[in-house]
Amino acid sequence: MGKKEERARPQMLSVYLYIPNIVGYMRVLLNCVAFAVCFSNKTLFSLLYFFSFCCDAVDGWCARRFNQVSTFGAVLDMVTDRVSTACLLVILSQVYRPSLVFLSLLALDIASHWLQMYSTFLAGKSSHKDVKDSTSWLFRLYYGNRIFMCYCCVSCEVLYIILLLIAKNQTENLLNVVVSTLTQISPLSFLLALTLFGWSMKQTVNIIQMKTAADVCVLYDIEKQQKKP
Amino acid sequence: MGKKERPRPEKLSVYLYIPNIVGYMRVLLNCVAFAVCFSNKTLFSLLYFFSFCCDAVDGWCARRFNQVSTFGAVLDMVTDRVSTACLLVILSQVYRPSLVFLSLLALDIASHWLQMYSTFLAGKSSHKDVKDSTSWLFRLYYGNRIFMCYCCVSCEVLYIILLLIAKNQTESLLNVVLSTLTQISPLSLLLALTIFGWSMKQTVNIIQMKTAADVCVLYDIEKQQKNP
Repeated sequence: MGKKEERARPQMLSVYLYIPNIVGYMRVLLNCVAFAVCFSNKTLFSLLYFFSFCCDAVDGWCARRFNQVSTFGAVLDMVTDRVSTACLLVILSQVYRPSLVFLSLLALDIASHWLQMYSTFLAGKSSHKDVKDSTSWLFRLYYGNRIFMCYCCVSCEVLYIILLLIAKNQTENLLNVVVSTLTQISPLSFLLALTLFGWSMKQTVNIIQMKTAADVCVLYDIEKQQKKP
Repeated sequence: MGKKERPRPEKLSVYLYIPNIVGYMRVLLNCVAFAVCFSNKTLFSLLYFFSFCCDAVDGWCARRFNQVSTFGAVLDMVTDRVSTACLLVILSQVYRPSLVFLSLLALDIASHWLQMYSTFLAGKSSHKDVKDSTSWLFRLYYGNRIFMCYCCVSCEVLYIILLLIAKNQTESLLNVVLSTLTQISPLSLLLALTIFGWSMKQTVNIIQMKTAADVCVLYDIEKQQKNP
């Protein structure tokens, strides 16, 4: 261990034991158990997964309430979100045909979030911050309105859980299942339609985000060059 | 668009850098590969491996033509992560128990994400000696480029081999691996070699998560010490 690390070790341990970070570890555990049972007990999986998703809001609240905001906590949160969504998409790609649909959604999820994170770091370093002044009304709506953003994100998770729960056989045709559930005209159809709409908004934003983030990467280099010609 | 429209012509030229064109080709190769992966495993393997080789080519191009770009590096990273993830998804469908490849996917995403985040933070802070780990494996991995290369290539080759040797729709992973190893053939040797490199890489991934988490924590502590 480095010398600085040894001196900071007591403090480091206390950050690992922050209340919101303990909540974070519980979220990881909940997800592990959820995915351990996902093939044998879909209902239990859905409850654990959704409860872990709710804890996502709890640990943010804890961090502010107990003044225990930490970078580690934020990263733990991000990583847990990304991994749990990825694993759920993997399960869905096994249940629904064509598999390529959920494979593509996984690819989009990873790529867009990775690019977004990278560009956020670069934008923090450079002075160029107005990339988000996009003419895209959707982008402005998504980032301007926290409730809309929340609705879109929650819709994705709820949609995936619904799709897992309504699949009766080992492998299902995605289009058939979705269309037949929508045409049932039941509370479930309504919920499905609602989440499909929010999900489609989120995926569209993901796509736009990749372009915006790529632009930030390119502009970062150009600005660096202009400062040191 | 933002107010800074002046750099726009230069922006397009970065997108058209030769290594970045190679990057787009890699993405296309991967798309085609995964489009055929269920129907033609051999074609998939060739396209996937070729795309993996292009990974080295675009790095070489960037240095050769003096066209190194942040965008190119990010494109590279994202392509690697997504292609490995998709391959692990395919393998989780082919092999039982699925949880094995699901866990490998989780480890891959988590460790690379944490590593990238901590690299950014370490760039911002003065604390750089977290990597002075007592772990011999960590030092070997980061000190020896050939060893690092062997471990990374082993992972990809192992996954491709596992996909190719699966004969049925769903296979028991343990059975397939053991029966191939006990065959005592060139394939067994290759499998053993790649399993060793793969295990080294996964171990490093795990150590890396701890190290990266420490960087995140130390970053906050140092920030506090500077602004009490």
